[in-house]
Amino acid sequence: MGKLYRSREGSITAVDTKTQLTTLGSETAPGPLLVPSGAKMLSAIIATVACDLATAADGTHFIRLEGPGLPEGPESLVVGASGVQVATGGSYANQAIRIPIDIPVTPANEILVFGENAGEDSGSTGIGVTLEFAA
Amino acid sequence: MSRTITVEGDVNAVDTRVLLTTQGSVTAPSLVVPAGMTKIKKIIAAASHDGAADDGSAIFFIRLGGNAVLNGEQSIMIGGAGNQTVQSGSDAAPNVMLPFILDNVDIDVRPSDTISIAAEFAGVDIGDTAVAVTLVYGK
Repeated sequence: MGKLYRSREGSITAVDTKTQLTTLGSETAPGPLLVPSGAKMLSAIIATVACDLATAADGTHFIRLEGPGLPEGPESLVVGASGVQVATGGSYANQAIRIPIDIPVTPANEILVFGENAGEDSGSTGIGVTLEFAA
Repeated sequence: MSRTITVEGDVNAVDTRVLLTTQGSVTAPSLVVPAGMTKIKKIIAAASHDGAADDGSAIFFIRLGGNAVLNGEQSIMIGGAGNQTVQSGSDAAPNVMLPFILDNVDIDVRPSDTISIAAEFAGVDIGDTAVAVTLVYGK
């Protein structure tokens, strides 16, 4: 079996607030993100962050993975940081990152994906996460 | 041996699935997986936005599907972009995204069937965007 890629995204509008990522663009209710049949591990996380830079502040962005699909318990990973000196002037674009990992999973069980901002309130932030499953 | 296909398109509305079917001057490139190719080995993708909307923050992702993709549709994040206030004149900042290159992709495909490649951006509108994707096939 080849690798399988499953994604979720969402917006985070307050600092230090755990926010579940439950949508996927045009799919407003894609349902639970279940570990695919045959998958034995999470081999990587692909993540991207987009901030509107609405405040002259700096913050960090990280994700949490939880749920019965992770037999070893919850995980957390830093996926980026952003800041701007003048609240009206920010504009940027960046590519996603791939973080190789090796986390066992339980097929047919759900993984909950959360995003969170920390540090100062850096504005409204979109976070997208792809889970890369492997056999 | 590898084979490649590149497609691109404009994605100008948030949360809207857009099929990428053109290749610049080639308006209808073949999306049939070449004979003998059984895997997507690598993905190269990039997106740009004009920032023509205030308070924008959006992430870009692609969807790979169609009859050629085994084990269901695959969705993969490729990047993100944000902007606060629409800028003008010499104050306008560029929004440049280097390509996201994903190696060892290992997605199973069936040769001689058609693949669909779609792109979306999600979050808060960031203006007009353009997305380009290259798939590198192998065995």
